[in-house]
Amino acid sequence: MRKHPDTTKSRSVALTHFFAGMRAALPVILGFIPVGIAYAIMARQAGLSILQTTGMSVAVFAGASQMMAIGMYEQGAGLLAIILATFILNLRHVIMGTCIVNRMPTGHTAKKLLLSFGVTDEGFAIFTTVDSKWCTLAFYGGVTVVSYASWVLGGFLGAVTSDLLPPILTASLGIALYAMFIGLLTPNIRGNARLALLVVLTAVCNIILSEIIAPSWALIVSTLLCALIGVFFVDLEPKAAPETTKQQEVDHGQH
Amino acid sequence: MDSTKILLLILGMALVTYIPRALPALLVGKIKFGARVEKFLKLIPYTAMSALIFPGVFTVDAERPLIGIAGGAVAGVLAWLKCPVMVCVIAAIAVDFVLYLL
Repeated sequence: MRKHPDTTKSRSVALTHFFAGMRAALPVILGFIPVGIAYAIMARQAGLSILQTTGMSVAVFAGASQMMAIGMYEQGAGLLAIILATFILNLRHVIMGTCIVNRMPTGHTAKKLLLSFGVTDEGFAIFTTVDSKWCTLAFYGGVTVVSYASWVLGGFLGAVTSDLLPPILTASLGIALYAMFIGLLTPNIRGNARLALLVVLTAVCNIILSEIIAPSWALIVSTLLCALIGVFFVDLEPKAAPETTKQQEVDHGQH
Repeated sequence: MDSTKILLLILGMALVTYIPRALPALLVGKIKFGARVEKFLKLIPYTAMSALIFPGVFTVDAERPLIGIAGGAVAGVLAWLKCPVMVCVIAAIAVDFVLYLL
C-alpha cells in the first residue's frame, strides 16, 4: 500500500520527536534505576517475592508511593490505609498532569489518557522546561518509554540481586534525581531575577511547611501557593518579550 | 499479608496512582483558561521543582547533609554554566562517590 506523502512526513516528524524525548530522558535513567533498586531491596526485605516486587513497579510506576507503601506494610498498616496514603501522595500529579496536557496543543484524548500513565515528577520537569516546539505527544512518549523502562528494570534488578551492589555506589546515586531537577531548573532562572526570587520563596516555604504538615501536602501547598503569589510579580518573558512577539507576528504572516 | 492481599494492594495502588494522572487528560482542553490562570500554570513547574528539591536535597543522606548539599551545589554551578543536564547529574554523582570514599 502506498503511503500518502503527508502521512509519511508527519510520521517521520513524530519519530524525530519520539527520539528527542528519549534523549531528553537519559538523565532519568541514572536516577530511576538506582531508586528502583533501592525500592526493590526494601520490598524484598519486607517479604515480597521477586514477582510481587517487580509487579508493583510495572503496575504502579511511582517511586515515592511504592517506598512509602513498603514502609507502611512493614509497620503492619492495613490495605486501605496504604492505598489512601498512596492517593494523597499522588494528588500532586493532578497539578503536574494539567501542566503537561496544557502544553500539548493537539492529540487524541485516548492517546493522552494512555500517556498519562507516564506523568511523573521527572517527566513533568523535562516536559515543562523543554522548548515549546517539542511539546507533542510523541516527545512525551519518548520521555515516558525511557522513564518507565528504567523504573521497571531497576525494580527487577533490585529484586533479583538484592544486596550484591556495593552500598557506596547506590548511596552516591541518591543525588541523581535532585541533580536532574537542579539541572533543569537553573538555566530557567539564570536571566530572570524575579523568577529566581519566586524559586527561593518556594524553597523557604516548603522547608518550613514540611516541618509542620506531612511533606506530601507541604509540596502541594507550597507549589500552588507560591505559583499564585508569582502571578502578581513574576514576568515570564523579561526583555525578550517584545522580540518574541515580533517574531511570532512574522511567522503568522508567512502562513 | 498473603499473596491475594498483596495483589489487591498492588491493584489498588495502581488505580489510585493512575486516576490523578489521567484526570487532566480528560478535563484540560474542555476548559479555556484565562491569561491569569495560564500564567499560574506556567509558574507551577518552577515552584514544583523548587519544592521537589528543597528540603529533600538536604536529606539525600540523612546522617550526612553535606552529601546532598555538595552534590546539589555542583549540579547547580554546572547548570548555571549551561552544562547539559546529563553532565550535571554525572558530576553530582561523582562528587558524592568521592565524598563517600574519603
